[in-house]
Amino acid sequence: MSVSFFGQARTVASRDLLRERRSGEVAWVTLPFGAVALLLVPIAIGTDAPTLRAVGIGMFWVVVMLFGVLVSVRRTGADSQSQKDMVSLTGIDPAASFVGSAWASSLLLIVFEVILGLLTIALYDIRIVGWAWVPLILILVAVGLGLLGTLAGGIVSTDRSAAALVPLIVAPMSVPLLIAATQAFEGLRLGHSILTWILMLVVVVLVLAIAGVLSARPLQETG
Amino acid sequence: MPNATTIVSLAGAAVRAGAVSILRDVDFTVTEGESVGLFGTNGAGKTTLLRLIATLTRPSAGTGSVFGVDLSSPDRFIVRPRIGYIGHTPGWYPELTLMENLTFVAHAMGIEDALAISSLESVGLGGAIDRRVDRCSHGMKRRAEFARILMTKPDLLLLDEPHSALDADAIDLVDDLVARTVKRGGAAVLVSHDHARVEAVVDRTYEIAEGTLR
Amino acid sequence: MTTTAPDRSRVWPWIAIVVAGLVTLVAGMLVPQDAVQGQLSRILYVHVPGAWLAYLAFGVTMAASAMYLWRSTLIWDRLAASSAEIGVYFTGLTLALGMIWGKPTWGVWWTWDARLTLTAIMFFVYLGYLALRRTTDDIDARAKRSAILGVLAVVQVPLVHFSVVWWRSLHQAPTLLKPESPDMDGEMVVALLVSLAMFTLMYVAMMVKRMELARLEEQVLRAEQSDAGPVAGAAVTAPSLGEES
Repeated sequence: MSVSFFGQARTVASRDLLRERRSGEVAWVTLPFGAVALLLVPIAIGTDAPTLRAVGIGMFWVVVMLFGVLVSVRRTGADSQSQKDMVSLTGIDPAASFVGSAWASSLLLIVFEVILGLLTIALYDIRIVGWAWVPLILILVAVGLGLLGTLAGGIVSTDRSAAALVPLIVAPMSVPLLIAATQAFEGLRLGHSILTWILMLVVVVLVLAIAGVLSARPLQETG
Repeated sequence: MPNATTIVSLAGAAVRAGAVSILRDVDFTVTEGESVGLFGTNGAGKTTLLRLIATLTRPSAGTGSVFGVDLSSPDRFIVRPRIGYIGHTPGWYPELTLMENLTFVAHAMGIEDALAISSLESVGLGGAIDRRVDRCSHGMKRRAEFARILMTKPDLLLLDEPHSALDADAIDLVDDLVARTVKRGGAAVLVSHDHARVEAVVDRTYEIAEGTLR
Repeated sequence: MTTTAPDRSRVWPWIAIVVAGLVTLVAGMLVPQDAVQGQLSRILYVHVPGAWLAYLAFGVTMAASAMYLWRSTLIWDRLAASSAEIGVYFTGLTLALGMIWGKPTWGVWWTWDARLTLTAIMFFVYLGYLALRRTTDDIDARAKRSAILGVLAVVQVPLVHFSVVWWRSLHQAPTLLKPESPDMDGEMVVALLVSLAMFTLMYVAMMVKRMELARLEEQVLRAEQSDAGPVAGAAVTAPSLGEES
């Protein structure tokens, strides 16, 4: 019995989330690491409250971008050839596999953002203006970063030594997400319209989704 | 067998890894109802040939098809559900249980969970279905691979060193699976160093030497 | 004994590069200095064309990458990679010259200005592109992977350019590429346009040489990967332990 594209994607996403639940890598390693990074900044730049309030949102997004890379590429270098063969032989469409992996990464990144966000608000004494927009921004950034990390993992492909290259590719490529996210929050703080930045996030997400789906099958050729 | 359908067809197929040739000018055909044994020394290219047939590796030269699908086609993944491949190393996720690994395969292929359970029971792992793979022995992981084959009922069986790590109880699994597949109208290709055991079950054998078949 | 005429195709790119450099130098030295910046303003006749070249190079990389993905012909891959390499060099030059100009002008080597920062990020994106190409000897796999990255990476280029419009910035706003007329003295505009033209000529000449080099590198790689060599299995022989001592 054949399985639909989104059925296959859902199976891949479920697998990734179950593996995360068992290994706890994001919950017990990446998340605390991100929290430590937020703690180190005031130690380095000073604990002056107005300064921390001014840098807090920016620091949050930098930590999300840099450590979020670890969330979305956590499997790139870890899966063995045998594991990849096993998945290939189920006949899963590589494009569905991309969507499923990105989906799982996005969900984990949303949790990552929410927990670190609450921590940032507490540590840096941030006052959020325009709460209604916050979930949309968090979701768009999480989806964008999930797509970017999964795509970068596919581009760098199967060579484990090359997997170290993925953060170098993802970090600078995440700049449009970083700019849009920080400027959106700045706009909310100043009472300006943030539709431009929301649109930028949507465009980045769409470009990455289309690029990932279209390149999934050709990239399997290079593995 | 008159007018038997060709399942595997390779013509002048070659596989390179960087500057090194692994397979060179391979001509190989398998039709339905056939079983074939492949032998060769370490590094001869047996596993590479099996992976090529399994569509996991592209040919660097020559042509090839499995179930009529070109081995160089980006859409070759559609034929993979019909292939049952057991490689050197089991490809299970260590942090998941045997059951969870098998149900992942089942869900990806639209197979009922109940069949996953019964397959594990059939290979003697009924008492370990909820055991994490990283707590299973190599032999148990091997048996689970045979459970996967039982569950998916492939039309082409590709087995790389199938008898390794199996105990006396489980070793007959290999012959049973080959017989079932061939009887269903499929085909089987076995790679092994155990000439006697494999020659007893296959229709013909080949030796891989200098990257080509003899 | 026979003699052959010099191969002009090997020589003209070098001549073009030298001539372009000299013309830029002359134009930059002949034009009057800026009333405020003094002699320091002459850096701009290399800095601005360098930035233009970076945009051009990465744009060509994107277009060539897209063509490769469409046609799968390796000449597009060579074009994309050659252009990216030249783009990285000129982005680095632009950043370095900008810092040299910035120190006496702003009092600091670096500011966290949007355009500077995004240019630096663009530099690293394309360094990543070049690093990706080094991860495999498989010519076709390398071409495909870098083509995908080459198309995606170009998003950095308009971001860098428009950043000075979107944010309040220390960096000078666009002087030429804007709807209104340039706010620069006529002679300076001419010198700048001459520099831009010369740098573009330099880019074309460099591309010719670099693509020829890429073609030869590919030939060598393909020769190494031909079927004429030994097979992998030939390296394995029967073990021979000998007498135990």
